[in-house]
Amino acid sequence: MAAFFRRRFRWKNGQVVVELPDDEQDMLRHVLPQLRELVMGETDPALRRLSPPARPDDPDAEAFYRQMVTDELLVSRLEAIEVVEEGIAGTVLDDAGIDSWMHSLNALRLVLGERLDVDVIGHDVLHDLDPDDDRVPIVALYEWLGWLLEQLVDAAMNSLDD
Amino acid sequence: MTAPLTTPGTDTADDVAFDHPWKVIVWDDPINLMSYVTFVFRKVFGYSKDKAEQLMMQVHVEGRAVVSSGAREKAELDVFRLHEHGLWATLEQDQ
Repeated sequence: MAAFFRRRFRWKNGQVVVELPDDEQDMLRHVLPQLRELVMGETDPALRRLSPPARPDDPDAEAFYRQMVTDELLVSRLEAIEVVEEGIAGTVLDDAGIDSWMHSLNALRLVLGERLDVDVIGHDVLHDLDPDDDRVPIVALYEWLGWLLEQLVDAAMNSLDD
Repeated sequence: MTAPLTTPGTDTADDVAFDHPWKVIVWDDPINLMSYVTFVFRKVFGYSKDKAEQLMMQVHVEGRAVVSSGAREKAELDVFRLHEHGLWATLEQDQ
């Protein structure tokens, strides 16, 4: 039971310590390659959430902005996924590492949120699903990622001035 | 009449950009966590906890908030960093 209650991200000596139970490590190893495949593609609807239009009012300006940043955003996402994969078994995060973990965990949440149609149906419906509903495991994954991200934010808050 | 004169300060893109700075807008979305959005505002812009929380609440309650403004290049970089963090950010020129 000890692992169940232990915080996954802790602030210690100016860095964030990452310590995940085995089953949670396995879950991340399972979903991160799927995220990588998704961001490398061009057709998944969730990509709209990961790189939303910067200039929705002006198609020409939007096309220009896209051209300028698309590769950079892709490289940044792939590098972030790699950093997480390398540290799943346990690591300490500096500022850049915190960014990588946050970007990846949040990207996973955004993709699942998009799959679950959270934008349209809201969260309440998802908390009240029939146990046989196909979405139940996805909701569990989505909630777990939110819980992890919340802990990471909490630990990383110590890295900010104020 | 001699050579045609140009009037200074009209007609160049730079002046327009100077007069009308670019605004970075973050839009409300039901997926991003409130604590996370606050953290991102502090980290990306160096805002105080109070200012970041106030902006996050504005996004949440009013549906959008201007989170930064300035020259085009800077505003584009801000939007890029917000997109990296998964926030729904857009860019528009002040009219």
